[in-house]
Amino acid sequence: MQFWALIVDSFRESRDRKIFWVMLIIEIIIAAAMFCIGFQPGRIHILFGLWSAETDYFTGMSGLRHDKIAAVAVSGVMDVILGWIGVSLAIVATSGFFPSLLERGTVDVLLSKPISRSRLFLGKYVGSMVFVLFHATFFIGLTFLIIGIRWGSWLPGYLLSIPLLVILFSYVYCISAWAGVRFRSATVAIYLSLGAWVIFAGIQGIGDLFDTFPEWKKNRLAYEASVVARWVVPKTHDITYLAGKWSGAALSTELIPKIEEEDRSAVERAGQAELERMNLSPLYTIGSSLLFEAVIIGLAIWRFARKDF
Amino acid sequence: MVALTEMTNWAVDLIDVRKTYSRNIQALRGVNIQVGRGEIFGLLGPNGAGKTTLVKIMMTVVRPTHALGTIMGRPIGHRGKLALTGYLPENHRFPGYLTGLQLLDYYAALAKVPRASRSVNAPKLLDRLGLSQWGGTRIDKYSKGMMQRLGIAQALMNNPEFIVLDEPTDGLDPVGRRDIRQLLLELRRAGKTVFLNSHLLSELEMVCDRVAILVDGLVARQGTLSDLTEHTIECRITFSGDAQPIRSKLAALHASVDGDLIVLSGNDAAKTNAVIDLLRGQGLLIESVQPHRFSLEDILVEAMAGASPKNHGVSSKPAD
Repeated sequence: MQFWALIVDSFRESRDRKIFWVMLIIEIIIAAAMFCIGFQPGRIHILFGLWSAETDYFTGMSGLRHDKIAAVAVSGVMDVILGWIGVSLAIVATSGFFPSLLERGTVDVLLSKPISRSRLFLGKYVGSMVFVLFHATFFIGLTFLIIGIRWGSWLPGYLLSIPLLVILFSYVYCISAWAGVRFRSATVAIYLSLGAWVIFAGIQGIGDLFDTFPEWKKNRLAYEASVVARWVVPKTHDITYLAGKWSGAALSTELIPKIEEEDRSAVERAGQAELERMNLSPLYTIGSSLLFEAVIIGLAIWRFARKDF
Repeated sequence: MVALTEMTNWAVDLIDVRKTYSRNIQALRGVNIQVGRGEIFGLLGPNGAGKTTLVKIMMTVVRPTHALGTIMGRPIGHRGKLALTGYLPENHRFPGYLTGLQLLDYYAALAKVPRASRSVNAPKLLDRLGLSQWGGTRIDKYSKGMMQRLGIAQALMNNPEFIVLDEPTDGLDPVGRRDIRQLLLELRRAGKTVFLNSHLLSELEMVCDRVAILVDGLVARQGTLSDLTEHTIECRITFSGDAQPIRSKLAALHASVDGDLIVLSGNDAAKTNAVIDLLRGQGLLIESVQPHRFSLEDILVEAMAGASPKNHGVSSKPAD
């Protein structure tokens, strides 16, 4: 009852933020734009045939390339629109949740209720996820239907992007929540969490480079440090790889229309590295990331539980 | 230990409560307070005396450095008993995105009130506090007085046995203050224990059975209002005429003369009659004889003025 009340309250607080509605409008516009696009063998139609062009990029010679459509859906909708842009906006929208919870006069009433501080924190933390869960469900659900109805490509695995997005958000939001408790400032929480996200991405990007250019591994110290750092931080990149795998998406290297001969081997290695990341166990990818998140949440709860208000 | 404390009749029995903040700031230096079940208890003191810290310790918002004793028969900080406690903090802030009804439902859910009770209690309490027309309105549209009434409503949503109200009449107009006083008296009649922290001493005087005065983190006075004011009663006699010839005789009766006013400390009828006889014997005209009891404000000022902080040694039994 208490946990549910905190989740409902968090959703109401989310709904009160302008960003919530701005995101919803952006999602509807993008979904409408996708709806205006159609495919026929060898052709792509924009605005229901108002403009069309010959291409075999998505259709191939024998019908739709479902793997390419899945790759576009995952990299466009899940990774860019909801991943980078959506999660960033969600961080901005929810970063004030903990600082406002801890304001004098607000926290007093909450702490006087028969609920432990750790439970109160976790209820609010999980409640903040509802912001992303709502948008992910709405947008991925809508685009799933459009891809199926308009493009003729049904991708049930793509729906698994919904929980993956929530998990991705949680990797970054744990930093925001900790900073919110520690510094009681939404601005600091935004800067620290987005900064941490860039660091996570940078560490994984360096790891990817080691995989693409194996000769770099000769520098053992740098390579080992990269491996350890990659293990420790949340694997935000790997979430997209996992979504691609579960959606049956083509490798991103396959989306490159034309590869020059001199680039071919580098592209092949990058494709191979991507395939290896895709085939990593979800238990490792998500489990080790959740371990990091658990440590950060533990620190935040420890701080919250010890604090006088 | 728990079994023993549950046997006590005190609703609140605070023993040696201490709180030292960082940089060695001592907010509470060993507070002992007893509140009887079913009474209205007032806590007063100057700014910085530690009143809010004490209230926050009782409500688990602040962790004490040291504290013994019980609240509603359970050790201080017992989370389960908070389900039977209502609390209105000073300068409370409620989420503006909620309506009055949503807020009551939210806080009552956190207090483990079943949904059926919440949906019955919320409209009733809004009605009782004059907010029945505002239940569906967002809180950020409420005035300060309405917010205060809503705060009191949320403190009562779980039908608490023990209610802690920090400045409950803050922001209310005189009619609103009277309403809250009546509500407090209703709560007492219903057997609830109310702990009030207020700057408005006249308000406390009107409703409290017992009070404690906190000065510099210690209880300077504690007891029933009549106990606290008993030693401060005096008789004021006004007269016209020249009292100079009997000044020495008046001084012998411990009566102080200030122009046409004579003040006799204490409540001694024989001494008062002796002074009256003396004045009449001198042919002076007695205009009035008035017993005067010190107000709570006088007692507070006296306590602050430097009486070494102590429990006053008056009755610490709950009022009947």
